[in-house]
Amino acid sequence: MNKNKTAVPSPNLSRRRFLARSTVAAVGAGALGSALLSPAAWAASAIGDHASTTLLRMARDVFPHDSLEDKYYAQVMSPLAEQAAKDSDLQTLLKDGVAALDEQAKKRFGKVYLEVATEADRVTILKALQDSPFFQKIKGDLMMGIYNNQELWPRFGYGGSAWEKGGYVNRGFDENDWIEGV
Amino acid sequence: MTTTFDLNDDSLVVIIGSGAGGGTLANELAQKGIKSVVLEAGKRFKMDDIENDEWKMFGKISWLDKRYVEGPARLAKDFPNLPAWIVKGVGGATVHWAGVAMRFQEHEFKMKTLNGVIPGANVLDWPVTLKEMEPYYVKAELKMGVCGTEATGMPYHRKSSHYQVVAEGAKRIGANCEQAKLAINTEVRDGRPACQVAGFCMQGCKIGAKWSTMYTEIPKAEATGNVEVRPQSMVLRIEHDKTGKVTGVLYADKDGNQQLQKARLVAVAGNSIESPRMLLNSASSLFPDGLANGSGQVGQNYMTHTTGGVYAEFEKPVHMYKSTVVPGIVKEWQNNDPSRGHVAGYELEILHLGLPFMSAFMKPGKGGWGRELADSLANYDNMAGFWICGEDMAVESNNITLHPTEKDQYGLPVPVVYKTDHINDTRMRNHAYDRSKELFDSIGALKVNNLPPYPASHNMGTNRMSEHARDGVVNRWGQSHEISNLFVSDGSQFTSSGTENPTLTIVALAIRQADYIAEQMKKQLI
Ligand SMILES: Cc1cc2nc3c(=O)[nH]c(=O)nc-3n(C[C@H](O)[C@H](O)[C@H](O)COP(=O)(O)OP(=O)(O)OC[C@H]3O[C@@H](n4cnc5c(N)ncnc54)[C@H](O)[C@@H]3O)c2cc1C
Ligand code: SF4
Repeated sequence: MNKNKTAVPSPNLSRRRFLARSTVAAVGAGALGSALLSPAAWAASAIGDHASTTLLRMARDVFPHDSLEDKYYAQVMSPLAEQAAKDSDLQTLLKDGVAALDEQAKKRFGKVYLEVATEADRVTILKALQDSPFFQKIKGDLMMGIYNNQELWPRFGYGGSAWEKGGYVNRGFDENDWIEGV
Repeated sequence: MTTTFDLNDDSLVVIIGSGAGGGTLANELAQKGIKSVVLEAGKRFKMDDIENDEWKMFGKISWLDKRYVEGPARLAKDFPNLPAWIVKGVGGATVHWAGVAMRFQEHEFKMKTLNGVIPGANVLDWPVTLKEMEPYYVKAELKMGVCGTEATGMPYHRKSSHYQVVAEGAKRIGANCEQAKLAINTEVRDGRPACQVAGFCMQGCKIGAKWSTMYTEIPKAEATGNVEVRPQSMVLRIEHDKTGKVTGVLYADKDGNQQLQKARLVAVAGNSIESPRMLLNSASSLFPDGLANGSGQVGQNYMTHTTGGVYAEFEKPVHMYKSTVVPGIVKEWQNNDPSRGHVAGYELEILHLGLPFMSAFMKPGKGGWGRELADSLANYDNMAGFWICGEDMAVESNNITLHPTEKDQYGLPVPVVYKTDHINDTRMRNHAYDRSKELFDSIGALKVNNLPPYPASHNMGTNRMSEHARDGVVNRWGQSHEISNLFVSDGSQFTSSGTENPTLTIVALAIRQADYIAEQMKKQLI
């Protein structure tokens, strides 16, 4: 999550570094494989291991937050895959979508999406499919699942609902230590 | 007190819509003893329904009936079904609004006199001046409880961190930034509490510190016994007699049954897409182009504001969500100074979005994904920014029309909104983007993001006021040029959009209109 744009340490940045360190093990450097997910969660899935893993890789490429653990992406993708078991239209959308990703990947790089090593290369594949209903469905679900996920709000520094705590009137709404009093 | 009126009672005023215009008019008339029925398409929400949650409230209260937006502007691509972001419910868009309550500037009432004919635009002077409006602005500020005004004597909010950051940037580039005049209590006033700075003004203020007709004008009106509000009553058409006077309103009630409410006078206040749509839908053999449309101007000149957003990322926290939604306004470029390369002015309204909305609006449309966006969102806590709010030129072809074939759930033709930029809008927006970058760079921004326009929440102009019947729809009182007992009471009567947010002016006009209606009724002229 850190932009690494500044050399000046701040409490906020060190918090982010801490978050990044603590999740490094789970993320791995591009070495995403099916081992990252409990096979059980995906065994039930209607779309199979390969498609599931591809979707997860894709999810991390669409909204990449290196310090966010896989589980947050899986939390969005798993229900989708499970729902596909009951919803044949969705199943087709996902299966065909993954097939299209692999086809593009083979055309451009001679291998399936999951095996394309760099994010930049995978992004060119995604860009080619960006307008498809498949891509937009995944993107939409992810946007809600990541940025509208209350569990994750503290990680982004967003407070969410506040009226039940009396708002921010007595909880630091005017605190700012880097701007001179205006 | 629950009053019910008879459908055949033709002594009543029928008001369509319960938002800023309709809700205010109902209460003003009620206080004078004039009886009215308010027909409101949406439900009646309770305070309990209000949650501090952006997407939940969007889903719950928004007007989501089918609408299209067309035109080459990016908005039509990014949000093809959502030209406007407003409310369907008792209280109208005043449930959503952020509370910014500013008066128009003098020059904004006479853009034509000031700038002459502007090619490609259909600019006109208002038939009203600031001087005439001033006493009504005072009344509106008192009614709504606007802080920082002489009228109420209520102090401004304290300066939030978000305000401090933008104000310092403005100071460094020599620009004027002021705290916002908000219709939000900073003290207990009018039976409502002081603001807690919870930051969800645009999702409906949970504690009622912000003025909304939902819990101010409407209950006050009902308490007089002179007003009946009928929620879930969607008006289908306005009926008239042989002489061309309006006689009643046909609507679909909550069970989908059609009812005809008779009326002595009808006031249309459905916001700038629905109001002209109703008039167009009421076409008859006497009025083949729709009611009040002799000039052909009904539905034309749709204005929003020239918008866009600018959010800068810093090294250190701003925590912008800990603030009223709009804590302050950079007013440096609010004047009419064509040497900037555009006529009319704009303001930079400091405005925060929660993380969920920021993720949707930062880079809207199909391409809104990827590392750059994710990196910016990862910096959410260190962001400060504002919404550009500038005068939008009236352009005749920016308009509301009825879809030739497609119907909505009520059987009415779906509205089609055509909206695209006038060259002046584009120049103004670019000027604003450039000045914003300077402002944020002056305080060490790491990155400055320009946000394209998102769906309009300020809608104006589609039934505009004019001195002469030939170039507008209503006169200086909001009264139809053609039909003396038909009024327009909402933002659609605006002749120009001004730079300021519209609601204070809508309310001031409704108070003024109520005086006129009362007097005309007394004289038996309507
Ligand atoms: C998110 C947001 C933030 C805003 N912030 C500000 C701000 O800070 N300052 C400001 O000045 N303005 C602000 N506004 C704009 C402000 O809310 C509107 O300008 C104002 O409410 C418009 O008043 P109106 O009377 O024209 O329409 P509305 O308040 O929208 O009321 C129209 C009502 O008519 C009803 N209606 C429509 N058609 C029919 C029909 N056929 N039959 C029956 N009922 C019908 C609708 O359901 C609605 O309740 C904001 C708006 C939004 C959405
Ligand atoms: S900031 Fe104030 S006005 Fe806005 S929602 Fe919170 S309490 Fe209400």
